[in-house]
Amino acid sequence: MTSETYANLLHFAGGLLLLCTVGVVWRHQLGASVRLLAVQGAALAAIPLISGIYHEKAHLLAIAPVVLVLRAAVLPYLISRMVPPTARPPGGWTASAAPATPAAQADAGAPDGPTATRPGPAADVLAGSREPVPLISTSVTLLLSAALTVLAYALCRPIIALDPTADTRTAPAALAVIFIGLLALTTRRQAVSQVVGFLTLDNGIVALAFLLTSGVPLVVELGASLDLLLVVLVVAALTNRMRAAFGGTDIGELQELKE
Amino acid sequence: MSAAHLPALLGGLTLAACLGAAAVPRRALPGVAGAGTALVGAAGVACGVAALDRGIEPIELAGALPLAGLRLAADATSGLFLVLIGAVAVAAGIYTAGYAGRGHGSARTPLVLLPVFVAAMLAVPLAASVTTFLFFWELMALASLALVLAEQRRPAVREAGLAYAVMTHLGFVAVLVGLVVFAAAAGAEEFGGLGEAAAGLSPATRTAVFLCTVIGFGSKAGLVPLHAWLPRAHPEAPSQVSALMSAGMVNLGIYGVVRVDLDLLGPGPRWWGLALLAAGAATAVYGVLQAAVATDLKRLLAYSTSENMGLVCVALGVAALLRATAGNDEPTAAGAAAVVALTAAFVHLFGHAAFKCLGFLAAGSVLAATGRRDLDALGGLARRMPTTTTAFGIAALGACGLPLGCGFIGEWLLVQSLVHALPAGGTLVALVLPLTVGVVALTAGLGVAAMVKAFGVGFLARPRSEEAERAVEGGPAMAAGMGLAALACGVLAVAPAVLSPALGRVLPELPAVTGQGAGAVPAPDLDTVLRLPGTSGAMSPGLLAVGVAVGIVVALAATHWRARRRPAPLRDAPLWACGGAAPTARMQYTATSFAEPLQRVFDGILRPEVEFAVTPYPQSSYLVERASYRSRLRDVVESVFYRPVLRAISAAAAVVRRAHQGSIHAYLAYGALGLVVALLVAM
Repeated sequence: MTSETYANLLHFAGGLLLLCTVGVVWRHQLGASVRLLAVQGAALAAIPLISGIYHEKAHLLAIAPVVLVLRAAVLPYLISRMVPPTARPPGGWTASAAPATPAAQADAGAPDGPTATRPGPAADVLAGSREPVPLISTSVTLLLSAALTVLAYALCRPIIALDPTADTRTAPAALAVIFIGLLALTTRRQAVSQVVGFLTLDNGIVALAFLLTSGVPLVVELGASLDLLLVVLVVAALTNRMRAAFGGTDIGELQELKE
Repeated sequence: MSAAHLPALLGGLTLAACLGAAAVPRRALPGVAGAGTALVGAAGVACGVAALDRGIEPIELAGALPLAGLRLAADATSGLFLVLIGAVAVAAGIYTAGYAGRGHGSARTPLVLLPVFVAAMLAVPLAASVTTFLFFWELMALASLALVLAEQRRPAVREAGLAYAVMTHLGFVAVLVGLVVFAAAAGAEEFGGLGEAAAGLSPATRTAVFLCTVIGFGSKAGLVPLHAWLPRAHPEAPSQVSALMSAGMVNLGIYGVVRVDLDLLGPGPRWWGLALLAAGAATAVYGVLQAAVATDLKRLLAYSTSENMGLVCVALGVAALLRATAGNDEPTAAGAAAVVALTAAFVHLFGHAAFKCLGFLAAGSVLAATGRRDLDALGGLARRMPTTTTAFGIAALGACGLPLGCGFIGEWLLVQSLVHALPAGGTLVALVLPLTVGVVALTAGLGVAAMVKAFGVGFLARPRSEEAERAVEGGPAMAAGMGLAALACGVLAVAPAVLSPALGRVLPELPAVTGQGAGAVPAPDLDTVLRLPGTSGAMSPGLLAVGVAVGIVVALAATHWRARRRPAPLRDAPLWACGGAAPTARMQYTATSFAEPLQRVFDGILRPEVEFAVTPYPQSSYLVERASYRSRLRDVVESVFYRPVLRAISAAAAVVRRAHQGSIHAYLAYGALGLVVALLVAM
């Protein structure tokens, strides 16, 4: 692999990561978010793979499949399990095709084309599979994402100046993913959407670690992945408890829990 | 064994006492803990004597604390305080064996911590670097806090513990800031280096260090307005702990002022002395006033502690003020008076430690026998508890500051320094010193009233409650502890010459007060006849005591001789007694009624809440059926100084609370913003 191909591939992976992240904050339908998260995980797994092939590092090649399985398959599956079966599309989200005009549907709140038999948006909100009216509107969210991306590129300039390689040039995308993940965490109401935001944030952190340190040790990566798995499992359990106790998973309702 | 081994002995004994108290069966616990505490105290006295003799060379324990390590050393000044605290601990330790054995404060944790507390107190004067000092200072505070909370089931104890915890840590923060600023500006951590660099510091730094440390140490010594914890925490602790705190720990506040502000920071401007003087004078008057109207025996003693620390602080302030006035060119009257004032401070520290230790031990004995601290419910103990009554009498005599009491010498020296410095200074001195004489005189007068009340109402006359009627003496260990303290009281009252060699070594170590070069003044001669350098004042407590004793013997002999010459009475008949032949306990003065006139005179300062209601018979408004009198005293300083501060803190907390809405989104947003801001700042 030439250095140019390497740089192109790495930039492509980083760009895909960032694009998926923007998609996550854009879409309010949980199914779309989960699909985007899976693609995001695949893009993330591509980074150690490309890096491992180019630098010829075995442990990166070993990490890549772990990341792929965990972040592109296991975690999205677990998140989709957090919504009760009645609110899920018949074939599962990961199986169904992407909607033809997602933007129009998200704005209009119309049911998905292939799953016309499913209940309406209000029932989706109640079940936790769809965001209710967001804290800030979608367009503002997208504008903020753009601003945060610019900020990430501005913040990374000293790092790129320090060591101008393909890795560091991709780092701003990872930092932007972190920022946008935080934005999603801050503005989302449903517990499930919170988990999606959190996983986005974590994907960004892992990507930044791969890019800036040129390879996290296997033990560290495995430990972090295990932590993540546990977090998602615990949140899944808590979400079920919330639904049983309050009839919904809107964390805005948890205001009274202050001391 | 060389002097360097003594601190090691101290540490070893502490460890052994702790482990012993933690391991022995319950039955042996009070004895082991008491003996351990007394042994640690004795080791402290040995350290102190060695330090007074030749000083203890610096000992470095690099690995004992991370980064800084420990550094121990002692000069004569440290030695003086080591002897003082060690001696109090010996008496309190012996007393503990009896007191805890009777089921008071006999839980295992407080008894295990008792030797730790004593050792921490002893280690504070041994500390020779800022880190070491702060470490042991905090250890002492934490150990004493745990001991105050020994009877944590009572709400009053928990409240006192909270007040103490807050105040002691605010004081610690002040000391910490002061010493850290000092160390950073001086570029040294050991006390020796600090002392050398102090002269080169800027006046602003010196002032900041002075103010911070005086506030911090002042709160430990119970100076107004930072005294609020003292009358709460000292009475609520078990009595041997009260004695250790009131007679031992408060002295370390004074040690801090002497060590940091007078010794290390060196001679300061005149207003330093004035500040100490003003704080001390306010404390002395306020403390004794509260003591005079208090009805709780241990609270009275605690306020009296505040008062005496105020007097010591006055003496230190006078010494610093006069030294700043005197200059170092030639021996002057002001310089001589400064030395006398400093001597007064040290002598009074010893006197106070002796009588206050004895006072609290005797109060603990009363508490153990009756379960009551309220003077209005005591009385009649003189016949039931003669040893305790004698002990408290000696303590009360000392606290009065009258001749033959051990508080007298210190106050006499202080007044002498004030009187003889008068012609020396300028306008300021001429204005301040007479006022100070007035303060000391008022303090002594009110002190007599307070102690007469405590002794007369609490121990004499008839018992006012069943508990007081059934009181019995506490046993040999408690009597031995009290006896030791009483012996110290007697020696200090009659022969203050025992302190003379120690003071002769301590005073030259404080050139910031005693002067340098030609202006240096020798220590006063505390021999059989007290002679003061540069002044005409002289007094002999020993001869006075002999005179009084001879007078008593002569008077007794004379009455005996007269009685033999008088013919025997012919018959016994009841005297006409104005209808009061069978007085009841209700006819006696109570503590409240005894203090009522004083409370009236100082109404403006004390601001008591008095309810007085008279219920007449329905037949005639002139016939009184019932009269009720209720008076409640609050600490005025608390309501004036503390309420506004607490209110301001609450208001500030309310502002913060507005950002604290309980919304998870808001918290997440704070976190995200924090990250972005941190990254921006880092760039």
